[in-house]
Amino acid sequence: MKTTIKEQNDEIVVYFEGRLDTAASPQTDKDIQPVLTADKDIVLDCEKLEYISSSGLRIFLSILKEAKPRGHKVSIVCTNQNLLKIFAVTGFTNLFEFRK
Amino acid sequence: MEHTLTLHNDVQEVPLLATFIDTICEENAMDMEMSMNINLAVEEAVVNVMNYAYPEGTVGEVRIDASVTDGLLTIIISDSGTPFDPTGKEDPDINLPAEERAIGGLGILLVRQFMDTVTYQHTDGKNILILMKKLN
Repeated sequence: MKTTIKEQNDEIVVYFEGRLDTAASPQTDKDIQPVLTADKDIVLDCEKLEYISSSGLRIFLSILKEAKPRGHKVSIVCTNQNLLKIFAVTGFTNLFEFRK
Repeated sequence: MEHTLTLHNDVQEVPLLATFIDTICEENAMDMEMSMNINLAVEEAVVNVMNYAYPEGTVGEVRIDASVTDGLLTIIISDSGTPFDPTGKEDPDINLPAEERAIGGLGILLVRQFMDTVTYQHTDGKNILILMKKLN
């Protein structure tokens, strides 16, 4: 699992690559810590994400819970239909803005 | 064909579970979607045991038996830990706004969403969780 954070066009983009399962989540959670205090809108890029379990979903939710009260948007970029289904059944499609 | 895997209560062993499930999915020619859904449901159920069945600091085991008969996948997850019925837990309300959404509780929801039946029993001092899914 690889997590890369980049600043692009006044946004913070977090690129997730690989399998975000329970074993990988503690490291990913550490990797995204700088994002939690960022004063910009955040994009979670899942184009190279192959898999996500509830531990990964919790990380996404924690990012949203930090950003939203400070007036920042959190968007998810995802075209993988299997992942989109997981975001749908957990209600994440109502919480985040989705981009293609 | 039956497959068995025994893991410790250590979430760092989850990748071994993924390899185990992938083998079963490949043997039964499941597509990517089915394979991911089964991986997810089984990971959530097994991680629940790893995190909560045994007192912190103690080593315990979780056993996974998988078989396919007449197009029906059956996965039996068993442990000798504290009796706990995960099917008794209510799903979180997924329609709540972000501020009110609890961080946890998504695991059992995903197990229910991606399996056809989820049954719990406590027999001979063991927690036994049976997941079933009709293939095709």
